[in-house]
Amino acid sequence: MGSGRFGGLATAAAALLFTTVVASVALLVGGHDPLEAFGALLSGAFGTPQRFVSFTLVRSVPLILTGLAVAIAFRTGVWNIGAEGQLYAGAIVGVWVGLNAGDMPPLLAIPVALAAAGVAGAVWAAVPALMKLRLGVGEVITTILMNFVAIHTVSFVVHGPLQEARGVFPQTDPVVDAVRLPVVLAGSRLHLGFLLAVLLGVGLWVFFRHTAEGFRWRAVGASPRAALLSGGVRPSRAMFKAFLLSGVLAGLAGGVEVTGRSYALLENLSPGWGYTAIAVALLAGLDPLAVVLTGIFFGALEAGAGAMQREAGIPAVWVDGIEALVILAVLAADRSLKTIRARRRSVEEGAEPAEPVPGVASA
Amino acid sequence: MTGATTLAEPPERTDGEAIALSVILRGVRKRFGPVEALRGADLSLRPGEVHAVLGENGAGKTTLVNVLGGMLRADEGRIEVSGRPVSMASPRDAWALGIGMVHQHFTLVPRLSVLENLALGVRMVAGGFRLPYGEVRERVEKLSRDTRLRIDPDALVEDLPVGARQRVEILKVLFRDPEVLILDEPTAVLAPQEIERLLALLEELADRGRSVVLIAHKLDEVLAVADRVTVLRQGETVLEAPRSAVDAAALAEAMVGEVVVPARRSDEPELGDTVAILRGVSARGARGEQALEGLDLEVRRGEIVGVAGVDGNGQRELAAVLAGRLGVSDGACELPERVGFIPEDRGREALVPSFTLVENLGLGLLGEKAQRSGPFVRWSRIRERTEYLLDRFGVRASGPSTRAGHLSGGNQQKLVVARELERAQDLLVAQNPARGLDVAAEEFVHRELLRLRGMTKTGGVGGPGIVLISTDLDEILALSDRVLVLVRGRIVDMGASRDRAEIGRVMVSGLADRGD
Repeated sequence: MGSGRFGGLATAAAALLFTTVVASVALLVGGHDPLEAFGALLSGAFGTPQRFVSFTLVRSVPLILTGLAVAIAFRTGVWNIGAEGQLYAGAIVGVWVGLNAGDMPPLLAIPVALAAAGVAGAVWAAVPALMKLRLGVGEVITTILMNFVAIHTVSFVVHGPLQEARGVFPQTDPVVDAVRLPVVLAGSRLHLGFLLAVLLGVGLWVFFRHTAEGFRWRAVGASPRAALLSGGVRPSRAMFKAFLLSGVLAGLAGGVEVTGRSYALLENLSPGWGYTAIAVALLAGLDPLAVVLTGIFFGALEAGAGAMQREAGIPAVWVDGIEALVILAVLAADRSLKTIRARRRSVEEGAEPAEPVPGVASA
Repeated sequence: MTGATTLAEPPERTDGEAIALSVILRGVRKRFGPVEALRGADLSLRPGEVHAVLGENGAGKTTLVNVLGGMLRADEGRIEVSGRPVSMASPRDAWALGIGMVHQHFTLVPRLSVLENLALGVRMVAGGFRLPYGEVRERVEKLSRDTRLRIDPDALVEDLPVGARQRVEILKVLFRDPEVLILDEPTAVLAPQEIERLLALLEELADRGRSVVLIAHKLDEVLAVADRVTVLRQGETVLEAPRSAVDAAALAEAMVGEVVVPARRSDEPELGDTVAILRGVSARGARGEQALEGLDLEVRRGEIVGVAGVDGNGQRELAAVLAGRLGVSDGACELPERVGFIPEDRGREALVPSFTLVENLGLGLLGEKAQRSGPFVRWSRIRERTEYLLDRFGVRASGPSTRAGHLSGGNQQKLVVARELERAQDLLVAQNPARGLDVAAEEFVHRELLRLRGMTKTGGVGGPGIVLISTDLDEILALSDRVLVLVRGRIVDMGASRDRAEIGRVMVSGLADRGD
């Protein structure tokens, strides 16, 4: 619903202002100049078209993809907290293809690498998915645990079998040229992955809104009993499929990252994208189109945070703290606005509210 | 039972004496946005009477008693308790005055046991954090014995059939021994014997000086116990009279504004092909218990097979098996594809409350090829169909984009019935299809069932076979071509018998050792 999407953006702006004040006080107490800090944050994210495209948009790619992964899982009633691990699984397999694709033409190498990364993410998700649906083990715990397994597997891989030939740093050699994603905007670093993420956002929106299968998944997420008894949908089957697709998208995020930006696998490749993705998805109200926008918002935050560190000399811990503060404020403001809106609607319209009128609800 | 049998006493009162309360509501108005639910409703309640509130779905009965119970605040109007004007902002205020309410929708915590749910309602004993389970258990067991509302205190609420959940709701309120007891449609999900017991209990409470406000949609039940009657129509009180001054026809006319003739099967069925066969079917319930045992059933087009029985004897499982939603543990089924299914609990099983009416229609109709184009849903088609059905079935909603959760209970039920009758090309499985509907809507649903049954006569492929599973014996007897009784997961074939006493005996046979 349009009003929700833009209402959400307005909320984000309001929360940003609130956070600015709180963080300014904290920065002052810590002996830093808040004006300089926030100047760096803003200019880092939006300062020039170049910065917006090469920093903000590039950083939004894994956030959009993992955000979509979380959104479709949550929509179907699957609490996949494991996007981080699935991303790493995709990154490991993606980089492996990227190191061994020397003879392939790019038209083949890129799809193979990305497909392999997606499959790896799905396989990683299949473990908790099967445990949930066969054994009844809650996926919140198992997906988190699978994250640790993935993170330590990356560590093992870059110290062992896939470590660079020089054997100095815990990272892989760079992937071959054939597998590197082409830049889509001349003179910038914006790669094909961004277009892919936006297309997937649009595609998933269409999937949920207009296809029978997507509708069934939504029904399972909203009421598994009604979906089964009235829709004839088997909730466990829909949940399994959604779980795997969620894994595919998160794995793809890892594959896109190693073929589009880092060109190698290293420890801490992800600064927690798979977790930030939960905030991205929730702020978007689990709407895939809105995930593209909230993903870009969080991308801007990361880009700005990097600039704050580089240009204003604010230590990394401060930057992390401020980033977390912004996320908390945005989520809190978004939630409370939605509650207020819902309450007002029920007062205005009583027992049988009609659909919210765009523009009225956000007033 | 005599007046000497006392109910459990609330901790704050010692003598068990009723404080005679008279309650008067005058000119109550309540508006929900554009909808005026009440526009000048009156209700006057004397101590020691059972007072029935009647009206169609949407007439404002529930809104009125919610005002009395402190759940809603009236926009206008006066409430007087024992001559003093009062204002109630919450159910807590109502409780302080001695007014307690049993709701139409369940207010129990599903994951907790019956005992835990009842303990939640008890005021904390001085200073303790611990809930007084032992004491509560004793009082529950005594109350359960005295009222003959049987429950297993240790069962989880989520595992109970709706009839048992209703018993718990009633006990929960009786537990606190209110002066004024409000019951909103308490009989809809109870078995005939339980209804009799409940009604006897209400009379007994009135004899002891309590006032009882009873909303029920079955006139004969109301007339059996009510001392006085208030009829609402479109938010206004149109009739208030002593029971002795009115008869069923007069009440029905006051409610609807016109004379209602009940639908009845009047001719022999024209049987078509066999559409569903169960042979030696056994199935397990939600808790893994043996719910159905070696059951045989054949259904043919053009007939209505009535399945009577006390709630909790396998109805839920039989319906789910016939609708193809539950696998069998033993035996064989031959079932058709195009099945309409009206399940027991519409809120959780038939509708998705957060979906719009169009989406809820879509949930049931997606199986039809015509509603899809490739992988896509043809929402515009389903929307047209929704608009048509809302109109035809008289569902009161502000439009097809309304969320199902915002409809009143009766309108939700109409929506489900509308959708499932559309789907039932081969077989219709209807479990309590008229539950919660008013007289006119109930007649409408019954007429629709008879219309589907009669389609076989008019030639062509014919109408579906209909399995009517109901705890309401009147409904079964009025509509069914043959009557089966479901007892402890087995079927007893009563053939064309219309003998109420005989059917009733079979219904309760072997129930003595049942633990519910």
